[in-house]
Amino acid sequence: MIRIILRQLTVLILTLFLLSLLAFSLAYLFPGDVVTNASGVLATDVHYPAVAHARAFDKNILSQYLAYMSHLFSYDWGVSLQDGVSVWQEFKLRFPATLELSLLAMALALLLGPPLGILAAINHNKIIDQVITLFSLSGYSIPVFWMAQLCILIFAVALGWVPIAGQVNPLFDIPLVSGSILVDIWLSEQPYRGIALLNALQHMLLPVIVLATVPLVLLMRLTRNACIEVLRLNFVKGAYARGLSTPEVLFKHVIPNAMQEVTLHISTAFSLLITNILIIELIFSWPGLGRWLVRSIYERDYPVIQGALLLLTSLILLVNITTTIIHAWRFPRVRRELNAT
Amino acid sequence: MHNLFKFMVGSIALTGLMACSPALPPNISGVLYCSEGNPESFNPQMVTSGTTLDMTSLQLYDTLIEYNEQQHEFQPALATEWSVSDDGRVYSFTLRPNVQFHHTSYFSPTRTLNAQDVIFSFQRWLDPEHPYHFVSGGHYPFFRATKLDQLIQRISAPSPNTVRIELREPDSSFMSTLSSSFAVILSAEYGEQLLVEQEPQRIDQQPIGTGPFKFRYFRQDVSVNYHRHNAYWRGPAASESVVFRITPSDHKRMLMLLTGDCDISPYPPARDIAWLKAREDVNVQQSMGPNTAFWAFNTERAPFNEPLVRQALSHAINREALIRSVYFDHAVIADSILPDTSWAHVAVPEAYNYDPSKARRLLAQAGYPNGFTMDIWALPVQRSYNPSAKMMAEKMQADLADVGIRANIISYEWRSFRRRLAEGEHDSVLIGWAADHSDPDNFFRPLLTCAAKRSDNNRALWCHEGFDQLVTAAIRTTEIKERQRLYLAAQQLLAEQVPVLPLAHSIRYQASRASVRDILPPTYGGIWLHNVYIDRNEQTEVKP
Repeated sequence: MIRIILRQLTVLILTLFLLSLLAFSLAYLFPGDVVTNASGVLATDVHYPAVAHARAFDKNILSQYLAYMSHLFSYDWGVSLQDGVSVWQEFKLRFPATLELSLLAMALALLLGPPLGILAAINHNKIIDQVITLFSLSGYSIPVFWMAQLCILIFAVALGWVPIAGQVNPLFDIPLVSGSILVDIWLSEQPYRGIALLNALQHMLLPVIVLATVPLVLLMRLTRNACIEVLRLNFVKGAYARGLSTPEVLFKHVIPNAMQEVTLHISTAFSLLITNILIIELIFSWPGLGRWLVRSIYERDYPVIQGALLLLTSLILLVNITTTIIHAWRFPRVRRELNAT
Repeated sequence: MHNLFKFMVGSIALTGLMACSPALPPNISGVLYCSEGNPESFNPQMVTSGTTLDMTSLQLYDTLIEYNEQQHEFQPALATEWSVSDDGRVYSFTLRPNVQFHHTSYFSPTRTLNAQDVIFSFQRWLDPEHPYHFVSGGHYPFFRATKLDQLIQRISAPSPNTVRIELREPDSSFMSTLSSSFAVILSAEYGEQLLVEQEPQRIDQQPIGTGPFKFRYFRQDVSVNYHRHNAYWRGPAASESVVFRITPSDHKRMLMLLTGDCDISPYPPARDIAWLKAREDVNVQQSMGPNTAFWAFNTERAPFNEPLVRQALSHAINREALIRSVYFDHAVIADSILPDTSWAHVAVPEAYNYDPSKARRLLAQAGYPNGFTMDIWALPVQRSYNPSAKMMAEKMQADLADVGIRANIISYEWRSFRRRLAEGEHDSVLIGWAADHSDPDNFFRPLLTCAAKRSDNNRALWCHEGFDQLVTAAIRTTEIKERQRLYLAAQQLLAEQVPVLPLAHSIRYQASRASVRDILPPTYGGIWLHNVYIDRNEQTEVKP
């Protein structure tokens, strides 16, 4: 097990290194002045020579990379070309908002996806299965932006149940500390925190549900298929033959086996979710990383694009590695296979 | 303990979500205004955009005097009285006593408004040696465009509560300029404090003024939050707080209005206004913008140097159809370059009415019985006075074909469009003008005089001595009757000469929820939120 963890960590570090190389070279690949692309400081700025020197643009490429890395770790990620705000300062407030939304959506997907898949599998080819399959198929095929619009029209405009923009009603006056609204409400010294929390949850409801849909149906389909596969195997028949009850067979034998397949795909589901969050943040005016990234792509705000890419890719990478490690830890067979290679 | 709390909150949340009633902050009266963009600065002196002006000027600051649009007269604001010397060059203002500046977490005023604050505010854009002149870029577009920085010779304070402004020459639009939302009064004391702290740029980011609301915080792309200024000289505002939520998409703003995420939303989508008006839970306010869309002919080029041709063209266009199809009826026909709201407005409809046969007759008279080929330049961006110049040009193309004129539509990217326009490369151009302040002069001298031609703002490249004399005489006198007489003559001259064909004055819309009380139609100075409040009882009734 330790060997596997070590190996995964090596992979992580190697990939992060390659990622940093890519992010570093983006400054060269983008059109325009390299120093400006990397730091967001315009050539007409008085600080330009100092910044160019600090980032070692007067030296060779290796020292430039080292300077880039040291800037990265001292949280000097440059300033936005659009409005001159520090990229790191802005990320610090926006990343938790994105993380909050994506973790909640992922939790929802994990909470509902596999159980529904199992339910469909044990009712294979019956009504329940067909309803769930239909639902998963439509959830899979409706584009996220369309579904978001539809939800807004139905639940917010027609029914008036939920708000559609932002994290919380601004009249609550929650001081901005972490960027994650639930944490901020927790930290705020307000007499009516409960209502504020409720309000924030209402704001979250639609984006979380829409965001959760794609990973949810993915996990559901995977679980269903894996379960059906396992149910066909002889040992299940054997278990029944030995007189085990259906729940026992299901929870002791079928589900653990089926989950082996599904666990590995959690990271796929998560990266799908992160792709969708860009659109969702835009539609629901969520003040997160994704919305800023989309605008920066429009405005060709290179320091922001660079930083956001680095952050989002590292996040996906981390989730990926963690899933692999959990997968290996939970399923000894996989561990043996990994060790064998 | 934590678990218990979590459980309780969780269950409350769940019940709430099930019950689906919006959770609103208790005991807070606040107005949510969905704004169409981020403010560029919190100092209106430095901006031109209406978006920024709406969010800052009337909320945070006051001006010396104000213009009352209903009564067409100036009324006291920070100045209670004023007098003009006989030669029209010296203006004296008496300041209102006991006007309190904002008391915030970053500034505690020790004194009330006095003449030093007025001098500080004016010198900032007047005097290049003022310590704040070059702070935050040092551009003061409004004062440059109105040439106020050249008009004012000296500003002084004979006593702590009087201000004396000397002009280089008499100018009857001076009072209008002073009453515009750009001419705000800042706090000199705050300025000094920031100089000591060596952070002068904060004066435009964390503003201090005398207005009905004080700045709390601004989060880019999210919101601008203001709180009530309790010691406001007109009395405290009706609502405790005002939040400007930044929502660039007009469609999104409308949805947010319907869901209650905003109480007030400016500029609803043009195609949805009729539908919004029909709803019971939404009120729509409108005001006519002080703007004019027009079609300017390059009077230096043949055949447009011929007034007969220009008259023919002005009868060839069906402007009523344009109002319907381009503006969705959200504009009125312009029968003068001056909007209907101005006191000097004189309509000359017979000069511009749609009459194709008359147009053909005039063309034949001018020596073009078979018409000619011309270019229409259509401005490439959306403007308050023209939602789509390109579409307008296409409609006009068809109208012109009726009288035998073949028109090509030309458009460039906005920056090169303006450059080429300034160089006079066009035959004719669809463009317009939005006024900076209430004085009629704003529509004449900056647009159609020989001086405007020299400074490349005269899109018709038209220079008429008689017209110049009329509008210059009008600006030299403060007598309203006399000015009206002169502007009447000027507008009749324009109707004869037709250097430009006035097309439309657009209407500005604003939508608010039915629970919003005491809201006024927007003006070009901004929106007045001092009296606005939300009737919460009404809101619960309206909610399904």
